[in-house]
Amino acid sequence: MPDGNTTARRVRRLTALAYVAPAGLVYAGFALWPAVHTAYLSFLHWDGISAATPAGLSNYRSVFTDPAIGPALWHAIVLIVFFAVIPCAIGLLLTALLQGGVRGMTGFRIVFFLPQVLPMVAVGITWRWLYADDGLVNQALRAVGLGGITRAWLGDYNFALIALGLIGTWAMSGLCMVLFLAGAQKIDISLYEAVALDGGGAVRRFFTVTLPALRGEITIASVITTIAALASFDLAFVTTNGGPVNRTTVPGLLVYRLAFNESDIGRAAALAVVLTIVVIVFVTAIRRLTRERP
Amino acid sequence: MRDKFFRPLAATIAVAALAACADTSGGKPAAPSDVSTTLTSDQVTLTLAYTDDPPTKALIDAFHAQHPNITITGQQTPFSDYVKSIKLSMASPTPPDIAEYNPGAMRSLVPAGLVYDLSPYEKAYGWSSGFPASSLEVLKSDASAKQYGTGGLYAVPGALSVLGVYYNKSLVAKPPTTLDQFEQSLAAVKRAGTTPLSVGGLQVGGFQVWNALTNVLGDEQQYRDWVYGKPGSTIVTDGARTAAQKLADWSAAGYVPASANATADSDAQANFVQGKSAYLITGNWAAGAIAKEMGDKVGFFLLPGASAVASGASVAYSISAKTKHPNEAAAFLDFMRSEQAATIQFDTGFMPVDNTVQPKATGVLADIAGGFKTVVDDNGIVPFPDFASPNMIDRLTAGVQGLLSRKTTPDQFLADLQESWTQYHA
Repeated sequence: MPDGNTTARRVRRLTALAYVAPAGLVYAGFALWPAVHTAYLSFLHWDGISAATPAGLSNYRSVFTDPAIGPALWHAIVLIVFFAVIPCAIGLLLTALLQGGVRGMTGFRIVFFLPQVLPMVAVGITWRWLYADDGLVNQALRAVGLGGITRAWLGDYNFALIALGLIGTWAMSGLCMVLFLAGAQKIDISLYEAVALDGGGAVRRFFTVTLPALRGEITIASVITTIAALASFDLAFVTTNGGPVNRTTVPGLLVYRLAFNESDIGRAAALAVVLTIVVIVFVTAIRRLTRERP
Repeated sequence: MRDKFFRPLAATIAVAALAACADTSGGKPAAPSDVSTTLTSDQVTLTLAYTDDPPTKALIDAFHAQHPNITITGQQTPFSDYVKSIKLSMASPTPPDIAEYNPGAMRSLVPAGLVYDLSPYEKAYGWSSGFPASSLEVLKSDASAKQYGTGGLYAVPGALSVLGVYYNKSLVAKPPTTLDQFEQSLAAVKRAGTTPLSVGGLQVGGFQVWNALTNVLGDEQQYRDWVYGKPGSTIVTDGARTAAQKLADWSAAGYVPASANATADSDAQANFVQGKSAYLITGNWAAGAIAKEMGDKVGFFLLPGASAVASGASVAYSISAKTKHPNEAAAFLDFMRSEQAATIQFDTGFMPVDNTVQPKATGVLADIAGGFKTVVDDNGIVPFPDFASPNMIDRLTAGVQGLLSRKTTPDQFLADLQESWTQYHA
């Protein structure tokens, strides 16, 4: 016969489940089920209308043999530099500069964070204008005497991917900064005083106190921005659509083309699954790299 | 913030949503029964899903005026959403009775048996007269919808379009009459310090230049067979190669702006309208907007060649195999070749289906009508190349970007197109 203690624990467990259930159902319905279903679709030949036929592994085989996939994955990895590495560095720099309260701090935070609240599509269209032949970027270059290097940046064979990446840098830096500033607020002031007593300056304070204290925030920021780089679709779609000459294709764009232009749902799903695995691999690697060593 | 996590998820959901409509296939094209040209006198309401307006709305209204008991309710969707959703809505239990046809989005509806083969109506109404042969041909396909220009008829044109060259009369005194003259004119404009040609290389504008050149430099039947998917066809031809080489040469000579690959079609058109370039190669669908801005300062000609050949397409309509009123829907399609419809088609900036009707026009619209009549009389309307396979449009866009930036050779470009063709048709 169960004692009172066990019954109470069971009731507590059921109550907890009841609390979790609504969110759990939404998560299962809108995240887990579509994911599982996509994996299922990746084993079918299906045009979206006619009866689907089993495909075995052939969709995956064609994903790995498609010559367009390799460059697209490579572009996504290059984008990690612009979406994750540079924004984190800029975020840390801004944190070091703004930490401890600067006049107009809220203003700075709003300005740097603003790109985050804008939809990527709006960001993309705005930057298409800025990068245009007679856009603001080229006007600025001409104004400082660099008229010789002006070009339609997003249409340039060599610079399009970099130009695209810098839009990501602009959009992501504010996010990193806000995360790091929030993290920096919980650092004990006495640690800084200790460095100052030892004769350390601002650079020393940053590297011995701020940077280690922000480990958690840096992990989060890197994970979010890396996912944004690997799974990017909207930015490439509205600015270059993969051009010129497929120099800015990203896996997300190819998934879209396979599903909607070519009506090849099976291959689109297979590529989506592969992309998910790539994302998981990168996120795991970041978490390992930034883990605190005992 | 939250959308960062949900974005990959949203893509997954979109793909999964398509799954919800699986297994509706009949496996065979559908043919209507009880075909008749006699219409009901009962009150009937049909729905029509479309994206192009003009001309659709005006055509609906004119048809209703003739048949007061037949009401057609239009449902308009913006183009990019239309091509994504029309397939699913045609596969749903309550599809629209009539739908504007889009070959890319709707080719799988033919083998799925979701749109009617209209051949019985073609015979009953005698559509071979009144519709230009080439305008019906492109809407025919075999049962698997892989080879076009043959087999059943799956849509009927409601307005026609043609690809040609607009020129700014302030910059070009007299339109060229040969390709050589055209190139000389491009060089002259360049020497005068103006951009000769606006090109929307970011989108379809780039390959339309190649397309127009291929039409006049290549073999018409060879090109047509290739787009239609006739077994054994190839685009690796001398004409197509010369066309690609010319485009690359024009870019090297500075006839095409260096920024072409970052220029959208609407931006290229805006540059031309503002007088920043002398020529623009696009279709008559842009005529209304261009004429409104430029008035009598703009003219139109077909790219000159040995014979009159130009790419063209149509706003066409299909009938759902689930409609309860196929005869009435077919009557709407038949209305497209009427004289009354021709007036509407022309007034809304398209070419009339019945080309015996000579609309009164002035300015650039008269130029277009004149050029169009020459091609149609010569049966020289050929389909657009992106029709040839589902991912051809991406190959064409990227390939022409390579030609313009001189990173792709004409041979690489054509081999890439042919690869896509072979993947789909072999």
